[in-house]
Amino acid sequence: MPEEDSIRTGEGNLTDYVYLSPVDQYQQHFRRWLLLIVLLFLALFVTAALYYFMSDRTRYYSDILEHFKYGSIGSEPGGTIFTQVGGVLPPYLVFKTLPALCPDKLPGGYASLGLVFEPGHELPIGVSRRWRLGVEQVGLNCAVCHTGTVRQSADSKPQIVLGMPAHQFDLERFFRFVADASLDDRVTAESVIAKAEEMGDRVSIVQRLILRFFLMQRLKLVTVSLQNRIGPLLNGPLPDWGRGRVDTFNPYKAVQFNWNLKLLPHDELIGASDFPSLWNQKPREGMHLHWDGNNTSVDERNLSASLGAGVTPVTADHASLQRVHDWIWTLPPPKYPFAIDQSRTARGKDIFAQQCAECHSFDGRKTGTVEDIASINTDPYRLNSYTYALTGNQSELYPDSPYRFTHFVKTNGYANQPLDGIWARAPYLHNGSVPTLLDLLSDPADRPKQFVRGYDVYNQQKVGFVYDTPQARQEGFWYDTTTPGNGNGGHLFGTKLPLDQKLDLIEFMKTL
Amino acid sequence: MSNDVIFAPLKFRNLTVKNRLFRSNVSGRFDNYDGSGTQARINWEESFARGGVGAIVSSYVPVHIRGRILPNYAMVDNDDKIPFWRAVGEAVHRHDCKFIMQLSHSGRQRDNPGVENFRQKGLSSTNKKDSFHGLLCEAMSVQQIKETVRHFAEGARRAREAGLDGVELHASHGYLITQFLSSAINDRKDEYGGALRNRSAFLLEIIQAIRKEVGSDFHLQAKLNAVDFGNALYPWEKKGNTLDEGIQVAKWAEEAGVDAIHVSIGSIFPHPLLPPGGLPVDEFNWWYGAIISSGVRGYMNYTVCHFKLLRPILDFLWNRTKKSHPVEAVSSEYCREVKKNVGVPIINTGGYQDGKVIRRVISEGITDAVSIARPLIANRDLAHVLQSGRDLPAKPCTFCNRCLLNAPANPLGCYDVRRFNGDHDAMIAEIMQVYSPSQFSEQHVSVAGSSKE
Repeated sequence: MPEEDSIRTGEGNLTDYVYLSPVDQYQQHFRRWLLLIVLLFLALFVTAALYYFMSDRTRYYSDILEHFKYGSIGSEPGGTIFTQVGGVLPPYLVFKTLPALCPDKLPGGYASLGLVFEPGHELPIGVSRRWRLGVEQVGLNCAVCHTGTVRQSADSKPQIVLGMPAHQFDLERFFRFVADASLDDRVTAESVIAKAEEMGDRVSIVQRLILRFFLMQRLKLVTVSLQNRIGPLLNGPLPDWGRGRVDTFNPYKAVQFNWNLKLLPHDELIGASDFPSLWNQKPREGMHLHWDGNNTSVDERNLSASLGAGVTPVTADHASLQRVHDWIWTLPPPKYPFAIDQSRTARGKDIFAQQCAECHSFDGRKTGTVEDIASINTDPYRLNSYTYALTGNQSELYPDSPYRFTHFVKTNGYANQPLDGIWARAPYLHNGSVPTLLDLLSDPADRPKQFVRGYDVYNQQKVGFVYDTPQARQEGFWYDTTTPGNGNGGHLFGTKLPLDQKLDLIEFMKTL
Repeated sequence: MSNDVIFAPLKFRNLTVKNRLFRSNVSGRFDNYDGSGTQARINWEESFARGGVGAIVSSYVPVHIRGRILPNYAMVDNDDKIPFWRAVGEAVHRHDCKFIMQLSHSGRQRDNPGVENFRQKGLSSTNKKDSFHGLLCEAMSVQQIKETVRHFAEGARRAREAGLDGVELHASHGYLITQFLSSAINDRKDEYGGALRNRSAFLLEIIQAIRKEVGSDFHLQAKLNAVDFGNALYPWEKKGNTLDEGIQVAKWAEEAGVDAIHVSIGSIFPHPLLPPGGLPVDEFNWWYGAIISSGVRGYMNYTVCHFKLLRPILDFLWNRTKKSHPVEAVSSEYCREVKKNVGVPIINTGGYQDGKVIRRVISEGITDAVSIARPLIANRDLAHVLQSGRDLPAKPCTFCNRCLLNAPANPLGCYDVRRFNGDHDAMIAEIMQVYSPSQFSEQHVSVAGSSKE
């Protein structure tokens, strides 16, 4: 069909027709097909690119134990390629190669920080993998802070206990190393690719391009940004957290709410306390959870804890968290792995009922309630690091969603904890300032002033970990109770008992 | 050289030619746009007769307007063309030279179909476009085939009535009859496609129709491909007919009543092997524009030639199959096989100029005669030169093919300025001699094309 073509003349529009020869028709047809094919290829390319850069996939572990150890809870960086959200670790290839690229910064590798490796796994327990933003990312999951090891003696094989506080893991040094090494000049796209290939990884061309032209620059920027936020905690003049401890809420203030930590009072930034155990959550629902008892909802406490691992409201994998929740809901505490003197436990049971049960057995009158700081008189720093201002901020997370925090409160003391699996929860008190149960039953003046924590050989007599041998000193963290936040005072219950009764009591407590 | 094989007469059934040198069919846009002839065409043909060749196979003469390659080619589509062709014949005959009209139909292979055909696709055996220029086409209906057969027969009748000495069917070089013969092109499912016999039906029907129209005492020859080499340009194209198939077609043509076979090669025109020689990319660049919009690959071809960086692509494709063939007597080895299998005289074309080569192919029984186009354009008196005992003219044809690339746009002639010692004006002057004398001049004496001795 001819096309009309209007030609403007002095007298108005002159309409002419534009004819098409067979060649014109063919070429028009051809160009349409060409355009269609180009558009099709473009669409395919865009679809592939969208899938590549927007798909969010991770390995599903049907075994809940494997899921707990290696499954992703969404703590890997997410969001969009333009606006990365969440995550505290560099991408998989970088994370994996950092210790090899900067051996002087971490001579013993990740294992030297207390991360637990299992045969057949290249990543430690607690580190998950997830494809996000076009890259294989890694993140932390619950297991990193809640998997402990126990040894009978220095030459026996460590036993891995899931749900146990990761008393051997130095989270602060881990963060320091990852940030410091990520910014190291030796860590470049080329060195990462070369090292990864040396370690047996195959790096695709697309991944090379992403690393070379995009990812490494972003990693450095993100790391600098993260350091700017939490630098005062990791690098400032504050006491080290040490193995088995974390400052739960101060990084939270900086990472989630972008607070300028330099503006906060110095003492507020001291808040390190022990990792808790994860088992037996069902009977804890409704109790005041966290050391200071600032929340009575297990779900909220779980979700809040995941934020510390790098999860954000937009990257959280709620289904995955729910699986962990369901598992720890009824997970029984680990059985004491060594011999128990049954004659003492019978006597100890009575003593426990008299001295401890009111506050520490599941059916105790005061169990799960907050004991005023003036009454318990333990170290106040952790209590004071959680503030009213933070409570207000927390309620703004997950707005308009069923996950919104509604249970956080500011308390004025520490919560009375049930003591199930207490043998595996050493050292004791919220800040881990007392190495063994026997020491805890001593007058504060007689409790160890300095000791080693993070060494996993068990002291069956005192019920806790060995803290005073040369080997322990070599492997563990030297803990000084005179450092602010590390005080071992307070909790005088049972300190007046005769030694024999104390021994009966702690023998019984092995059975909890 | 009284016993020179080149100058021994060649007897066909109905025709005797004084020597073994034929001017091969070569055209030039010398005529009126409507296909009526001009004095220039007479001058053109007569110049070769004067040069001493035994016979001239005419320019490409369309039997129908839809079968035209380029405008300004004299046609034989109507009885009103008979007087013109009679005049051509008479002019040639004055020099003791025979004139054989080449009856032709382009099929899809129309370099420039002209305004009359502009809105129609070419006719062919197939709907598929040609591989070189991308010339579009549509498969002929049986009705159209029958009509076209008739057009050929009518053309033969007109040639006889014009007093010409015979007709040749252009059944090679990719024109309509080749489009039926070639397995690389013909994809029909009816009685004109499939097996070789079916693909040959169109040719054989034309031969029979001509015989019926003009009788058996009028010279009829067919120009056939011994081999198609359909993939010589693009390796992904089909090869087309093999030598065995070419021989078989020749045998069937002989059975059907042709008096001679004119042997060539190549399923398109131009073809990397024919005309043999070079492909001057400068001329391609200058003149391809004249036919650029005829096919859907015109702009691509032009682009590849226009940009120097892309020219190696064209050079590679065009030259890759040449290495295995000589420029001179390019198709002689295939012709030898055809000659072995048919009884009628054979004429071979492709790269003939050197007397030694021509004598060899005739003496060895490869062919009975040779037909020459481009070397004769350069030296119209090549026959006289050979007869005088020399094997080459003083300024021989270089097989540069500049004449070929100029043909769609400019008067046909030798455009190799080296043959004129770099004198462009002298070259143009010789080319323009074809227009002298003009229709209105008093002296109808042509001086075109004497060799530069």
